[in-house]
Amino acid sequence: MTQAVKSVCIVGGGSAGWLTAGLIAARHRGAPGGEHCLSITLVESVERGAIGVGEGTWPTMRQTLRKIGISETDFIRACHASFKQGAKFVGWRTGDPDDFYYHPLVLPEGFPDLDLAPHWHEAAASSFSDTVCFQEFLCENGLAPKLITSPEYGGIANYAYHLDAGQLGKLLRDHCVGKLGVRHLDDEIVRVEQADNGDVTAVVGLRHGPIKADLFIDCSGFSSLLLGQTLGVPFVDCSDVLFIDRALAVQVPYDGPDSPIVSHTVSTAQKHGWIWDIGLQSRRGVGYVWSSRHAGADRVADELAAYVGPAFADLNPREIAIRSGHRACFWKNNVVAVGLAAGFLEPLEASALVLVELSADYIATAMPATRHAMDIVARRFNAMTRYRWDRIIEFLKLHYMLSEREDTAFWRDNRDPDTIPQNLCDQLELWRHHPPGEHDFASANEMFPAASYQYVLYGMGFRTEPLRRPTADERHAAQDAFARTTATKRKLAAMPTNRALLDKLAQYRFQPI
Amino acid sequence: MKLVQLSRTEHGHLRINPALALSVAANVHLVPLTLSEIRTVASQFPVFLAKDGETGQFYPCALMGLEPHENLYWTGSALDADHIPLNLLRLPFFIGGADPAQAAICLDEHSPGVDANGPCAILEPDGSDTGYITTIHGILDRLAAGKAPTRGFVERVVGLGLARETKLDVRFDNGTGAVLNGLYAIDETALGRQVAAVTDFDDVMVLAAMALSLAHVGGLVRRKNRRIEADAQWLGAAA
Repeated sequence: MTQAVKSVCIVGGGSAGWLTAGLIAARHRGAPGGEHCLSITLVESVERGAIGVGEGTWPTMRQTLRKIGISETDFIRACHASFKQGAKFVGWRTGDPDDFYYHPLVLPEGFPDLDLAPHWHEAAASSFSDTVCFQEFLCENGLAPKLITSPEYGGIANYAYHLDAGQLGKLLRDHCVGKLGVRHLDDEIVRVEQADNGDVTAVVGLRHGPIKADLFIDCSGFSSLLLGQTLGVPFVDCSDVLFIDRALAVQVPYDGPDSPIVSHTVSTAQKHGWIWDIGLQSRRGVGYVWSSRHAGADRVADELAAYVGPAFADLNPREIAIRSGHRACFWKNNVVAVGLAAGFLEPLEASALVLVELSADYIATAMPATRHAMDIVARRFNAMTRYRWDRIIEFLKLHYMLSEREDTAFWRDNRDPDTIPQNLCDQLELWRHHPPGEHDFASANEMFPAASYQYVLYGMGFRTEPLRRPTADERHAAQDAFARTTATKRKLAAMPTNRALLDKLAQYRFQPI
Repeated sequence: MKLVQLSRTEHGHLRINPALALSVAANVHLVPLTLSEIRTVASQFPVFLAKDGETGQFYPCALMGLEPHENLYWTGSALDADHIPLNLLRLPFFIGGADPAQAAICLDEHSPGVDANGPCAILEPDGSDTGYITTIHGILDRLAAGKAPTRGFVERVVGLGLARETKLDVRFDNGTGAVLNGLYAIDETALGRQVAAVTDFDDVMVLAAMALSLAHVGGLVRRKNRRIEADAQWLGAAA
């Protein structure tokens, strides 16, 4: 058990496999021949191809790509990426025509030192997010979060990306193989060999025979070849909380080369689920995710067609089954799963890629030196990752359970108390009298800050009735913060449009500093 | 500004006053430089890299003021400097077109330097070029030919991580101050670490000149103090 960990084999390519390879290789390429130098192999069946889930990222992707050593300009060009400044939720509360709210990526002004939640009603000429934060203004006006003079991965407003996941895999593969020394094998795994203690000793490829390693990372997608199939770690189904289990996806071309590129994800509630709408440089990615227990594919196709408009007739919708849930643990023996092999929830709030980044970053950082140390790292990884899944599930459920929509069983069933996790019920009980604050989220591994809960709660019309009235000082500080937000909006009115900046980026590069 | 392509028939009769043409520099705090002049210009002005607002790309420039639209070397009638950057010397003439090989010379017809009483003619009475316009041709040729080497130099500097964003935060004698962002100076520490990677000796000299030129920021502050004092005296006299 004191055997040193010197080789890593990642099974499966796609965004998960290559992000993991990139993060580990960038951290461990070290001096050749060094005592702890890791050899990293990624084996994938190129024919099989990747599923390409999630075209929305979190702002974490900026740090991830920087760590891997890819320039932002190259990334944006190669992945047809655009800037994402949060999500606009349309029709989630009542379904009325003017029903929308934002979950922006910029925190409320002064947060967390200053909490504007108890004050915004007094100031509110507009929504919570528009009152406490300037980013909704940028989004509603199609403006970019940065300038051509902003350095790579730096901006005026916090931002993430919309990207073509297939292209991301290719970019990462070329970089990992060409620059980071990752060995890439194109092969079909036909068998997995195990030691007596259950450890995987080799995956056997049709062409390359046994591929041995000390640590195996399962990025094999929904099939969960090593963790699920080989080591028998069961799948924890979450469909009792999150009902979405189908997606119908289309790629919608822009009307013309000057069409605006929306700089946020638009999530529009439908009768039996919701539609995502993601603007890339070259096209829009649009899809309806729904609950098959509540509606058949025909009915949602009609709704999707109505959303897309006449262009829908020429498109080829692709239906994807979603299994909502995760493995009971994520690291067992010498196998750790990252990406779909670990689990998947619906695309709301774009949690797929960020979980890949967080998991891969932890594995790279805490890379066990020996097989013995691996069991300790695995225990910690499992506790941390399970915590993250639970928080994501609760946060996603929050979006549905606060809805006042009565039009279908899908929305009514989402409010059934039996479908709401107890921890979320507890939080909501507290939030009736205290706005969500940092004290509600004490872990170092939180996924969503208290501010995100505020954006969703108050966007959905939730009322917090504070126990005490704010002091005069608190009221003045809040008024000053609202004034700062208004001033920032005025200053940012001159930002370029998302389209204009992306067009410029086709010609010029962001500078590294 | 009205740029038109220079033509013998249209403009041959015009006279130019280069000092008046230079007056546009009164409102300029950053003057772009070409690589071959940096060493000379850096003996007088602080030389930084700055980003072009339209393209985001770095260019070398001389700093002449401590806030936008301020030129502390402009006396009201002339630029008080021994070495004037080529991009000011060429005024009121410009290079038109992106391709240096096809470059056309343009004239700003609205420049105050287009002056019937100006000391410089464009053409001699016999229709040949004057010494003045020949000099202008030479300057514009140097600027056009310098574009690619300047870009290459900037790419090497940024690629090697030798530039560092520098916030100028200065105080004046009257208690006020100024903060200037968006300037990138040569980082001497980084240069020391990377010196083996700077293979071109001319680059070493230019980088050293840029690093040393930061001392001229003190000169800008002195000029600003003198200007503040003169303004105060003028206001005092007016009162």
